[in-house]
Order: sequence, then structure tokens, then C-alpha cells
Amino acid sequence: MNASHIRIRGVGAVSSAGWNAAAMHAAVLAGTPLPSTPSARPGDLRSWPCESRFAPASPPEKIARHPRLRRSSAITRYTVAAAVEALADAGYDPAVPPPGLGILFVMMNGCVNYTGRFYHEVLQNPAQASPLIFPETVFNAPASHLASFLGVDGAVSTLVGSPNSIMEALSTAAFWISSGIVKDCLLIAAEECDWLSAEALTYYHPKLIASEGAGALVLSASGDGPRVSEIIGPLSYLTWQERCERLPELAAQTFAQFQGPATLINDRTGITKLDHAEADAWKGRTWDAVLSPKYVLGESMGASSALQLVLGTLAVRQTQQPVVISMPGSNTAAYACVLTP
Amino acid sequence: MNTCVGSSTLHTTNLIKSSTVPSPSSQRIAITGAGIVSPLGTGWLANEQSLAADRMAFRPVELFDTRELIAKTAGVVDLPAENLFHRVPAHKQTFIDRGTRMLLVAIREALAQAGRQNMEGIDAMVIGTSAGAMPLGESYFEHAHQEAGRVPSQLSRAEHYQPQRQMSSIAAEFDWRGPIIIVSNACASGANAIGWGTEMIRSGRAKRVIAGGYDALARLVFAGFDSLHALAPSGIPRPFDAQRDGLALGEGAAVMLLEAEDARQSAALGDVSGYATATDLHHLTQPDPAGKAAIRTMTTACVQAGITPDQIGYINSHGTGTPFNDVAEASAIAAWAGDAVAGIPVSSTKSAMGHLLGGAGAVEAVICLMALQGQWLPASLNVREVDPAVRFDLVRQFRRSALDYALTNSFGFGGTNATLVLQRRSA
Repeated sequence: MNASHIRIRGVGAVSSAGWNAAAMHAAVLAGTPLPSTPSARPGDLRSWPCESRFAPASPPEKIARHPRLRRSSAITRYTVAAAVEALADAGYDPAVPPPGLGILFVMMNGCVNYTGRFYHEVLQNPAQASPLIFPETVFNAPASHLASFLGVDGAVSTLVGSPNSIMEALSTAAFWISSGIVKDCLLIAAEECDWLSAEALTYYHPKLIASEGAGALVLSASGDGPRVSEIIGPLSYLTWQERCERLPELAAQTFAQFQGPATLINDRTGITKLDHAEADAWKGRTWDAVLSPKYVLGESMGASSALQLVLGTLAVRQTQQPVVISMPGSNTAAYACVLTP
Repeated sequence: MNTCVGSSTLHTTNLIKSSTVPSPSSQRIAITGAGIVSPLGTGWLANEQSLAADRMAFRPVELFDTRELIAKTAGVVDLPAENLFHRVPAHKQTFIDRGTRMLLVAIREALAQAGRQNMEGIDAMVIGTSAGAMPLGESYFEHAHQEAGRVPSQLSRAEHYQPQRQMSSIAAEFDWRGPIIIVSNACASGANAIGWGTEMIRSGRAKRVIAGGYDALARLVFAGFDSLHALAPSGIPRPFDAQRDGLALGEGAAVMLLEAEDARQSAALGDVSGYATATDLHHLTQPDPAGKAAIRTMTTACVQAGITPDQIGYINSHGTGTPFNDVAEASAIAAWAGDAVAGIPVSSTKSAMGHLLGGAGAVEAVICLMALQGQWLPASLNVREVDPAVRFDLVRQFRRSALDYALTNSFGFGGTNATLVLQRRSA
């Protein structure tokens, strides 16, 4: 895949560290896991611990006002806030987005709060299930709301998949830009956390802590900003064992792409059983710095790779050195990418 | 601005942004295989025979309880009874979603049609779905609500609820490894996935792509459309009828094997010669009454195909049978086609099989391919009095017709509009 003509002109983020990219950057640089809270379950009938790291309450200035957003769920609010920040960071007025803007949106779980709520109503009494809620359960509702908020009536698409599906979206954004389908592209991934998804993570490992948020990038063929100089992957796998075997190959292919000092942004959760294959793969090199956003912020599922990319952009800006981002994925493929000044 | 838009240019120029209109594409995207599973039957031949007989496929839903709902029928697929997934262990078979099974059947048919036994040499799989493996999510939710303690099988439900994990099961059947891309733009997902596949080939990222879409009936989705009063109480959808009162849901899957012409390894059945997508900002679930986004996608897709509206020999409309959709689409077709509108045959095959949601765009694209191959037009069934907004040639009975290009529209919740233009390959 080749997106080397693409510049990341602006970034924005909502995470458990706060409602802007700088807050996330500062928290990850500090390296201390953020506090978690018990994930409340209806009826409080859970017999095992389940923690989450939620995004903090929205600051008043981050509440976007638009008819579509009045009853939208958290995932849409995170999406809009991150997009607005990214557009402003790119030098655009979010109230007047640039013409020819496209949107590519990535998620894994999607609108889980409304989906759970609507299905609960269906089980209780389907004849009284709310028609207001159902449309909000559809995977592409957040992208649709964002498009409406920004007035983007061109190419808008949603991908569902592993967090690192964002690299496929990035490649398509590069094609859209180079072929003139769009001029700039907002690449966003977001997730919201509820008790169901928090519990689901504990089945993967009891200490895995769910989180939420959104990462947004404004991509363009012109202007300033870090370059997506290399995309490595997908290195596909069908089993966890196969995944472990492919990660050294991912690292070797990445090492072949650059020399000199660099920062590594990895996928480390802090749980050895989940992390060891990735750690082993990347240890054959000395890094100027190693950043582990999941370890600090929590497992934000579909948003996690986007948050890595936002963090990588900020790291390139700060260090003026290459940043390698490791995205090993969990059930389909591994990717990595190299961002350069 | 391209000059190939023809007589409709005057109507539509103000709706098109020049930056979003590509030049006619020089890269030919061949379709070398197709597979289809629908309520009308499993496989190309069964679907062709059903469409030729103007047959409908609606019956009571028995997959879940519909007693408290207004609608109680849908287009239901009869899946083969035998075990389809040979590499999935017996204890995991229950976690393979119904829609995934349909998709595997469709993929096997497409590969066989292209003379392939497996997916070797396929660079990517791009699949559209609206609901994914929703029944697995429903089951996860129900177990979580009922049990205070940990339920070990919940891990498998959580894992297999993810559409990419379901697609990974299909990849494992062929021992295939490659990028799996899942497009979820509601009811335009299948068409967008085929369009995404063509873009992967045009951009040089792939030479060969399996692209299509699927969705199976799910309780949450059925109840959702019922809550919106979008489903026809009678269970009979009547697209473009003046008194239409809603859609019927269905389920199914379809895929195409797309190949770059310069790397084609099998005989071509046709081409995907045009694709465009745009966003209707009017409302989350209702289309703009004038169908402005649809006008843009039809115009842009035809520009990419290098043709004018009068060259379109058949339109498989989105045609859901809801009051808002059909009048918006009819208006859009009239505005886009201009003086050519009266000569363009249009039908909605949702009248026969229901709305297949994420599978609709792919199934309807394959029907267009079948029409191009067979030189026939499928019908819009159940029309009693044609809506006055209809200015095109509404096909009300299966008919033979000579055609070189077919166009299919897909419009989704959230405002995603997609248009594909397919071209016949001469023998």
C-alpha cells in the first residue's frame, strides 16, 4: 500500500484522558495508567470485577449544537469533537469545512448504548420499542451525523472491523485524494463503552480494561504535516498462534523501511499474555521512546489505532523524527506504519 | 467538467461538484464470477428462473417471535441443510451466523463460475453488511442479562459477533489470507463494497477482489423497521404503486469476482464500468424529496462509464416501496435522465424478494449482470396503479430486451447513496 503522498494536516482526539489530543499526548507521555471505575451493570448483578476508563464529561465548549446531535449517543459526540479539533488543527474553520471534504469512518462495536437499549425494549415489548432509537443503532449513524454537521455531501463511508482497519481506510483515502474524488479526507475511528462491551473484554482477559473515545485525522495531498511514508501489511492470520508468528515479519519489514532514531507507538496493554508476541517482535531495535497508549488509556477497541495515529502525528511534530506505529490486531491481520516529518 | 453527460447535463450540472466528477475510467474492471443467494433461490439459475416467472418469495418469519409486531412476513432464504463450513470445529458451528453461511455459498458459486476451486490469487475481500452477525449480539445480550456470573460461551459470542471474525471463518474455509474489508453504509453497503473493490483495482492496490454484500434477518432489525412503520402491514411491498405502504424485509448474499482487465484469468461476464457514491444530508432515515444525492451518483457513475442516460437499458432501482423513497427516486431518475426518461426501463426486484439491506446492493448488481447476460428485464411486481411521479418505463412483467448497460441504485439510512453501472460483454 502506498500513501506516501499524503500529509496529516490536523489531528483531534477524545479519550479517557480528555477532550483534546494534547491531553491524550500528555497522559501517554506520563506513562501512568489512568484511574478506572467499575462498569455499572443494570441491577448491579455481576459476580466478577469489571472496570472501565470512560471519557470524562464533555466540557461545555465541546458540546456541538445541531439538530442531529440532540439525541445522538456518546460515539457521535466523540466523533464530532475530534473532527472539529482536527479541522481546526489543519487550519480550517470547522464551521466552514473545505470544499471537497470526504469522510472515512472506522469502528468495531459501534453504537452499543442505543443498540443495547433498543434490543432491551424489543425483548420487553416490541410493539413499544422506540422508533427514535432504532436508527441510532445503525453502524453508519455517527458518520452520517458528522456529515450532516459539517455539510459534507460527497464521499462518506463507514468500515467495521478490527481497529487497524483504519489502515485500509487510509489507503482508500489516499486513492480518493489522488483521483480527485475528494480534496481532503477526514479519517476517523470512534468507540463508546458500555457495560456489555466492558464485560466482553474481561472474557479475553480479566484485567483488560475497556475505554472509549475518537481519533480524527485530516489527510491531504497538500499543506504541512507528517507524511504517511510507509504502510506495512496487511499480514493476515487466521489464529492467535499464526498472529504471533507473523509479528516478527511485520517488524522486519518495517525495520527495512528506515534508519536512525525513531519512536515506537505500540499496542501494549500491560498484560503479558496479550503483549508478549508484539514485544518480542519489536525488541530488535533501540528506540528513542516507546509509547503505549492502551496501557495508559485503556482498550478503546475500534478507536485505538486512530488514537495511535493521532499520537504518532503529535510525536513527529514534537521530535521531528520518524514514528513507527505497531498495530498487530487481534483476529484478522497485522499492520504497521511509519510517519515521518 | 466532463461533457459525456448528454441531455441531462443541463438538469444536473448545478448539483455536481466538479471536484467529485471523475473522467471516464480507462481501467476496465471485469466481472469474472458471480454468486447469489436470495429468497428467490440459491444460485444464478434458480434466481433467473424465479425472476422469469415473476415469482414472489414472502412467507411467515419463524426465526424469531413476530407476534407483537405489525409485519410478520419476509423474504426468507432456504439454506442448504448440509454443513457448509468444513474447517470450523463442531463446537464452533453454532457461532457461524446465518448471513455468513449465505455469503459462503455465494462466494463458492462465484469462484466456480470463474473456474476456481479456491481463493488463491484473490487480493482482497470487500464485503458490505448492515447488521453483521446481529443474532450473535442478541444472544450475547440475552445471556448477559440473564446470568449474574461469567458464562464461558460468551467469549465466543463476543468474538463471533464481530463481522470480521465471521469473514475470517470464510477465509479459513479456503485457507486464504488477505485483507478483509467490511463496508457498513446501511442499505448501500453491498453496492459500496463492489464500488470499493473497483477502487482497489483502479488504484493498483489489487488485481483481483471478491466484493459483495449480505445480511440475514435479525430480530432487532426487523423490530426496528417495524417500529418505524416502514414495513408493509400486508407483507406485500408495492414499489412505485400509488398506494404503496411500505417495504418487506428479506435476506441474502451476493458477490462478484472482480478482476483488472490486464490481469484477468477467467472469461469476463461483464464489466463494472461506473461507480459513484454521495451523501444525502436531508435526514437520518428519509431521503431528500428531490433525490439530489441520487442524481449526483447516477450522473457521476455514467460519466465514469463514459455513457449517457439514454444508453442505460435497465435500472434496478432502490425501490423499497416506502412512500418517501419511491417518489424521491422517481424524481431523481427523471431529473437525471431528462428527455430520455420515458425510454428507460426501471423495476424494483425488492417487490419479489424484499429489502436485503446490506445485501441488497450486491444482489441487485448481480441481477443486473444476469439481465445483461440473458437480455431480459425483471419486473416490479404488485403494482396496481402507477405512482404519478413515475415517468420512466416501469417494467411490470418479466420481458425480453436488448441492453448493453444496466444501472443499479442503493440508498441507505444515514444518507449514503451509491450507483453502479454494469456493462455487457459481447460474446
